[in-house]
Amino acid sequence: MDIDILCKVVDNYGDVGVAYRLARSLSELPDPPRLRLVASDLASFAAIDPEVDATKPVQRVRGWELYPWNGAGTGEAASAFRARRPKIVIECFACGRPDWLEVILFDPASEEGCLIVDLEHLTAEKYAEDFHRMPSLTRSPFVKKAIFLPGFADGTGGLLMDGSFARARSRASSESGRSAMRRELLARLGSSPSGPLFPAGSVPALAEDLFWISVFSYERDYARIVADLAAFGAGKPILVLAAAGKSSPCLASAWSAAGKPFPLVSLSFLPQEGWDEILLTSDFSIVRGEDSWARAALSGRPFLWQAYPQEGRGHMVKVAAFLDRLRPYSAPESSAALSALEELYLSFNDRERDGPEETGLESLLPVLSRRSELLPAFTAFSDSLAGRTDLASGLVTFLREIV
Amino acid sequence: MVVTSQLRTGSVFKVGNEALVVQKILRQKTGRGGTVTHFRVKNIVSGQTSDVALDSGEKFESVDLDIFQMKLSYIDGDTYVFMEQETFEQYEISKEDLGDNAGYISADDDYPIEITFYDGRPVGVTPPILVERTITYCEPGVKGDTSGKTFKPATLDTGIEVSVPLFCEIGTRIKLDTRDGTFVERAK
Repeated sequence: MDIDILCKVVDNYGDVGVAYRLARSLSELPDPPRLRLVASDLASFAAIDPEVDATKPVQRVRGWELYPWNGAGTGEAASAFRARRPKIVIECFACGRPDWLEVILFDPASEEGCLIVDLEHLTAEKYAEDFHRMPSLTRSPFVKKAIFLPGFADGTGGLLMDGSFARARSRASSESGRSAMRRELLARLGSSPSGPLFPAGSVPALAEDLFWISVFSYERDYARIVADLAAFGAGKPILVLAAAGKSSPCLASAWSAAGKPFPLVSLSFLPQEGWDEILLTSDFSIVRGEDSWARAALSGRPFLWQAYPQEGRGHMVKVAAFLDRLRPYSAPESSAALSALEELYLSFNDRERDGPEETGLESLLPVLSRRSELLPAFTAFSDSLAGRTDLASGLVTFLREIV
Repeated sequence: MVVTSQLRTGSVFKVGNEALVVQKILRQKTGRGGTVTHFRVKNIVSGQTSDVALDSGEKFESVDLDIFQMKLSYIDGDTYVFMEQETFEQYEISKEDLGDNAGYISADDDYPIEITFYDGRPVGVTPPILVERTITYCEPGVKGDTSGKTFKPATLDTGIEVSVPLFCEIGTRIKLDTRDGTFVERAK
């Protein structure tokens, strides 16, 4: 089977992150498909996969052919796709097709068939079940199209579970494995060529034994979160790991304004597998977007998800839908903890837009204080997600059924 | 070319040489990546209907259509009869082929409706963007609530159900946007 994956980077690293994880997951399947990737932003791709050379528009990486969406190298890309016409094209997030590929796919002189699959964004909403695997259309009867939706429920395409993540998840499920992972992370990140994990002299003693909180969100005023972290940290020593990106300066600013009340580490940008390990070994995470959201859900640890803001607060429906999916896994005796979590999700997400000045009414402390009550629900939820067919396997089964 | 986001009930587009008319817009989901819409479409030549989900950026060949202004003369069961106002020629379109648009038009209306012809046959209609309809059933109105932000279901004189603000009552005449069936305002 030959599959071409298209990815147009719209915002930051999430889009290419999903395409990269999908490619890795497909390549790990028995009888793996031959893959070609077309990406619009090689710099983003190189950031999450160090094997990608951002200066080479056309290259081979991990056994895949990698081509540019536009600019230099598209002539070579078009030649390669003409020589081996696409049979199956995965459009990540309805990204469309580059012009040079459009010409090849819709060549009026060709009656060769092709299937395009629109791999949509992850959502917890009911419509994921309704739209998943629905037929779609293109302007050519020879170019078929279908919709594929990831999701948290049966009847959706599920979540990506690449081998590297699955192994790390399994290892992090035991306390000894998690401690070992933390030690390795600290050692590895501490000697990272992009900078030490801890500035000289600021390494907290026994960092691996602290309560780890990783933070990767959109821009906002972090004063309330920092105040709650400080209050929680007064009783239980914490280590806050701030992922590189939009939230990092906001968090660092609020942390400095509060008098640096707990150890905070600003991480340099990590490859995808490195960030996965941070999420899996954290005791609590604040995540955003799609791929980190899915990883956090699979981690089995409590977390707070910040949804991408949509017009008219449309994202609040998505947040509520996710809480609806999580709620059945919570035991009745944990209802107060679950209520605190739900209030935190709703208040943290209740905004029209993002920015360093955006404030909310979120209360993180009640959730951190009741984290042990929430842990069984998140673990059970995570196990149920991991028990479903992973997205790549389900996608290939779907393709075999309809091609 | 026409893109999915421009399609509405009654739109005609081509897949290869086949012309398809949009009969119904069943569901829509909007996410960060755009909108995916669940359409019921009918192949104009074969008559076959199918349900498809189209993402907002997909482009289709547009179709050469003839469009004439007519008035709905009368409704006979599931058949809607339109009359050309100069020649008095009549054309029939089934309720099924009108799709969602059947809910916006009535023989009592005085405004013209665009009838779309493909290959000499009427295949769909395009009502005005704003139409007036009468509520025939809804829960009692809430006096004092004029915010228009909270909605309740209401049945209209054409039989369709729409969402209207709480202050609306049975008999209230309302303006609707036929592109998506949303309440616009109380008719004056």
